[in-house]
Amino acid sequence: MTDNNSHNTSDESNELQTDGGVSEVEREKQIDYLDVEINLLKPATPFMQDHNRIILRGFAIWAVIVFGPITLTRLAPDVMTSTMPVLGFPLHYFLIAIGGPGGALLLSVWYVRKRDHIDEKYDIEQFAGADLERTDTSGQEPTATDGGAEK
Amino acid sequence: MSGLAAADALAIAGDVFVPLQADEALLPEGLDIGFKPVPAIIVIAMMGLFLAAGVFYKVADTADMWVAGRSIGNVENGMAIGANWMSAASYLGMAALIALSGVYGLAFVVGWTTGYFILLIFLAAQMRRFGKYTAPDFVGDRFNSDAARAIAAITTFLIGFVYALGQARGMGLVGLYILGDPGLPGLSGYQGMMVIFMVITIAYLALSGMLGATKTMVIQYVILISAFLIGLLVTGYASGYSTILPQLEYGMLINELSAEFSDPFAGGSYYLWIATAFSLIFGTCGLPHVLVRFYTVENERIARWSCTWGLFFICLLYLSAPAYAAFGTDLYSDGVRAAYGDPGMSAEAGDVIVVLATQLAGLPTWLVGFVAAGGIAAAVATVAGLFIAGSSAISHDIYANIINPDATQRQQVLVGRLSIVALGVLTIIFALDPTAPIAALVSFAFSLAAIVLFPMFFLGLWWENTNRQGALAGMTTGLIVWLIPMFNEGHFGPGFGNEFLATWMPAIGSGLVGVPIVFAVTIAVSLVTDEPPLETKQMVRQCHSPEPMPKDKTAADVVAEKNSGGPSPADD
Repeated sequence: MTDNNSHNTSDESNELQTDGGVSEVEREKQIDYLDVEINLLKPATPFMQDHNRIILRGFAIWAVIVFGPITLTRLAPDVMTSTMPVLGFPLHYFLIAIGGPGGALLLSVWYVRKRDHIDEKYDIEQFAGADLERTDTSGQEPTATDGGAEK
Repeated sequence: MSGLAAADALAIAGDVFVPLQADEALLPEGLDIGFKPVPAIIVIAMMGLFLAAGVFYKVADTADMWVAGRSIGNVENGMAIGANWMSAASYLGMAALIALSGVYGLAFVVGWTTGYFILLIFLAAQMRRFGKYTAPDFVGDRFNSDAARAIAAITTFLIGFVYALGQARGMGLVGLYILGDPGLPGLSGYQGMMVIFMVITIAYLALSGMLGATKTMVIQYVILISAFLIGLLVTGYASGYSTILPQLEYGMLINELSAEFSDPFAGGSYYLWIATAFSLIFGTCGLPHVLVRFYTVENERIARWSCTWGLFFICLLYLSAPAYAAFGTDLYSDGVRAAYGDPGMSAEAGDVIVVLATQLAGLPTWLVGFVAAGGIAAAVATVAGLFIAGSSAISHDIYANIINPDATQRQQVLVGRLSIVALGVLTIIFALDPTAPIAALVSFAFSLAAIVLFPMFFLGLWWENTNRQGALAGMTTGLIVWLIPMFNEGHFGPGFGNEFLATWMPAIGSGLVGVPIVFAVTIAVSLVTDEPPLETKQMVRQCHSPEPMPKDKTAADVVAEKNSGGPSPADD
């Protein structure tokens, strides 16, 4: 089984090399995802590279939003506990109670929009309600539903 | 001393000023306890409305419900995510912890909201593509193991039980306000009320069954958030704290409150803060009933957008709870006694601070009752959802899949009902004398989900070489790791009270230590044992393909199709 796997991966990389000149989008179209390795740290396809980039960037910003204010308060309590103008909040209180949830919300909006852009770039359109019946996805064998299993 | 230990200490000293039954445990001081007809009618009407909505939107059968459910849109699903999420811990417990332990309580605000971003970027769409309905199903199919399925099912059951403890406590305390001391022989007012509401919940569950459809949850969300926000708006206005935006205006009040409210580490150490937030964040990503919401949408794009909408709807409540805590603390200090110091506010008063604030602000009884009813509705609906998840884990994943594969529908239903009763009885027994405030009780369930389930979901979806042996080793280790602080701190039994353990691995935040351990064990064991079969890997790969996928298919279907049509026959 493991042989099978490595065979598939090398197949795919050969394919990429021969088509050296094509764009990322073109390359992406030739990939069958059932043949690429899934490893968060080693994204195998152009799409996954693009996607992983925003995932990891978002994760880094998220970590700062979530754990940053409390850590800063630990390191510089005087600055962080000073009162904010207008709102009257102690700074640390505001950054944690409102900056945390609010920041995560804005970051989520940022992510889903970025992700929508990537989908656009690779020409990916999700099924809408009207396409309920469509079960043929390109790149796969248009095998009949269950009948195929017995052949 | 941790914030919760402080809260417990406050609770012990809390009975002195209670006007009624001062010798009885778990009475929130300052709360106007007694039977109130209008609030009682509001509670009944609210529950009736949820049931009626369930009946109205009832669909022919379960299969239909799932498939039809997948045509739910962004905003609607977002509200359902919100309703699913709003339990007594959000509605009552969070304001309680902020009032009792100040900035430490904000770890709950942060933990219970920001986790959704992690869910969004790492799990939501991939889970949607995997296409399984329950957490044990995912674990069982991904790791090809009935043992793994069983551990996941037991964990789901345990999560339901621990989570329900907090809800039961909320129902008992708020029930006291609405209905007064029922005077059940041998039981204190709180205990009697808690038992009554747990029995009502189980009856509600029998009536509503699987009616917990998305439409019902949307209605639940709208009612809960209205009760919460209107209560806050009117309290702030009537007491002169705020006008139209109490969520920001309470900032002016903070400096007038005691230092305990805003001093960074008065209620808990820096380490405890980080550990708690960490556990809650990754627990959110491991909670079975949260992940289920992403199966009900049409496609991954909607899964992502509805997760974002869900976070927005959740934020409405989470940005308001600290304001409630601030108003409540100030009103309590003026109207009852000093909120901090000795004796200070008891944990029980804290747990009803949302209701207490509206009452102390002098709002009419019906409005206070409306806010209280919202808390009870949140608790009842959440317990119903948890018990369904827990009982289906036992009847479907353990009984029908493992113990008796030939089980008839009838037998499965019987086992399901018995496990609901078992969950109910267990919850009642342990909730008679709860060991911690609502939010803390609930957070134990989050630690469990973070330690045992989150690593399985994450590694299962993002590293195709995670295998059965790794998952089994990881989950077993996780269960043990979670139990150690739970026993140590006496949540199951007398407790060992090991000081070092309590400081560095508190039950409330055991995920900070537990999650990395389980990751390490799972990865290490996966590396030294055989790789998983190709089909399993392909299933994982299918979850990451950007290629749109019809909503009636699972990743396993796609893989089976590919292999049956491809050159090489499927290898078992």
